[in-house]
Amino acid sequence: MPVLLIAVPLGLAFAVPLFALFWKPAAKYIPPVALAFNLIVSLLLLPKVLENPVIVSIGGLRPPFGINLVAGPVGVLFSAIIALVGLLVSVYALDYIHPVRYSHRIDTKLSNWVGLSNGVKEGPTEKYHMLYLLLLTGATGVVLTGDIFNLFVFFEVLCISSYALVAYLREKSGIESAVKYLIQGAVGSSLLLIGVGLLYGLFGTLNMADIAQNIKSVSPISVFVPMVLIVTGLGVEAAIFPLNAWLPDAHSSAPSSISAILSGIAIEVGLYAVVRVIFTIFGASSIFLFLALLGILTLLVGEMCAFSQNNIKRMLAYSSIGQIGLILFALAIATSYGVTGGLFQLVSHTLSKALLFLAAGYMIYQTGSLQISALEGMGKKMPLTCLAFTIGAFSLVGLPPFIGFPSKFLIVRAALATKETYFSVLIGLALLGTVIEGAYFFRVVQVLYFKTGKTNPEGKDAPIVVLIPMFIFVALIVVVGVYPKLVTDVLNSAASELLNRLDYIRSVLG
Amino acid sequence: MSFLNSYIYYIGAFGLILIGLYIILVKHNLIKVIVGLGILDTGVNLFLISVGYITKGTAPIFSRSGIDSEHMVDPVPQALVLTAIVIGVAVLALALSLAIRLYQHYGTLNLRKIREQKW
Repeated sequence: MPVLLIAVPLGLAFAVPLFALFWKPAAKYIPPVALAFNLIVSLLLLPKVLENPVIVSIGGLRPPFGINLVAGPVGVLFSAIIALVGLLVSVYALDYIHPVRYSHRIDTKLSNWVGLSNGVKEGPTEKYHMLYLLLLTGATGVVLTGDIFNLFVFFEVLCISSYALVAYLREKSGIESAVKYLIQGAVGSSLLLIGVGLLYGLFGTLNMADIAQNIKSVSPISVFVPMVLIVTGLGVEAAIFPLNAWLPDAHSSAPSSISAILSGIAIEVGLYAVVRVIFTIFGASSIFLFLALLGILTLLVGEMCAFSQNNIKRMLAYSSIGQIGLILFALAIATSYGVTGGLFQLVSHTLSKALLFLAAGYMIYQTGSLQISALEGMGKKMPLTCLAFTIGAFSLVGLPPFIGFPSKFLIVRAALATKETYFSVLIGLALLGTVIEGAYFFRVVQVLYFKTGKTNPEGKDAPIVVLIPMFIFVALIVVVGVYPKLVTDVLNSAASELLNRLDYIRSVLG
Repeated sequence: MSFLNSYIYYIGAFGLILIGLYIILVKHNLIKVIVGLGILDTGVNLFLISVGYITKGTAPIFSRSGIDSEHMVDPVPQALVLTAIVIGVAVLALALSLAIRLYQHYGTLNLRKIREQKW
């Protein structure tokens, strides 16, 4: 079963151009179909893997030989989220991405208004849908694989398709940020590959469980170098503080549907890989405090930069950096509560940030500007879109009826439960970051509802195809926020999979 | 000398990696940066190959007589490098096509002059 999660979207991704040969619109209907399939398979697998992880050995070679997939609670939880968000965003893209013809002159004039171009210039959109599916296949592969080189390969599938998608609109800012992203990403992946090579040299195996089992048999210094290389390489994609220079550019110049996926899925998958490597493979409990510090630093830098932005998509992108910092901090607490809270925050950030980018994308399309001030009075013209945006913003800040509240609450409780002074100080700083976050999100909401628009005669609500995915996000945010028990079981067993590396090793190697 | 003999591949590989990183960090021209990426990739691939290499080893083909397993090189790194080369080619091709687009927009490839996006 877990093989299908990767094989079906991968096969359909390459089938997109073929189907489009016969019937043009087929291209845009394939991603929703593939992702709906993935969502169903993940949800069917979920109850099974809560009891026992499903290990698939490809080619019939038992691990540690051959390549294996490990569908534990963490992997299936992530693949379900990827499929869910991917499905909703691809439904949104049915209307958002479509071939529009306009002359090159208008294009350059509008080139500063990223995302205004409703989709793509002349030319087919098959490439968009193909790359989109490939990106999500890469993400699913990263979370399901049990082989560290295979993780690198899927990571590259994810990265290369996201470089291409950032540049998809082909205007100035998109190309520039894609080049920056590509250079930093390529250096990061090279470091990752060197780390993988060193590990292979040390242990003669690529199976993550097998490496984890033997990690204590060599001196800590010789393990330290590959760990630093791998964490740095993955940290570029996860946007951990000193390595995140590419993120605000790339996330703000991509088409809005892609920004939603990059912010909601790509960086989370990067963070998953970092956490999997540190928790499971290296079991490096001594660097958790360092990671917590890095997390808080990332949080504060991200929130402060977001506060000073006038461009709404850049603001959301910096806010993603801040949220990643908070998640990293929560995971680095490394208690059962902490990891559960971190994973919960990850789910809540994925849902809320995807919703925010989708809503903002449509508002940008209507107003033709990325400035926050251009959104004045939109609350009356596009009530439903603005309602969705507001709910996403409130959820991200952590107001009670929404999903952001239980997740942040769990993190605070976990940090205080450690009874360590430094965690209390750090969680204080995290709450300061949340206050800053509240300040800039409330500013946008105020602009939406309480300022009268001057110059925007245009503006009507989004079409129904766009509203449906947004309101499914809203429904999920509210339902899980009111009734967090729905997900806590899954999150608890995912957290215990990450914390108990011995169980992981035993379940893979048998 | 024995040190050089046994570690020559590692020295070469890390030399290439450092040269590649130096080019990426220091050079202003995008094409040169992409060349740097290529050199970095080559260095990494050479490193992976040398992890599995043994002196005077041959290909691990069991059907040929007269070769025992002690003189075979490790085939896994070679499979890895094959994959890594393909990935490297894809990244370089994408980078070059982006460079063409960038030149069309800005009329220059000097990365210090292309600074529309900032904090």
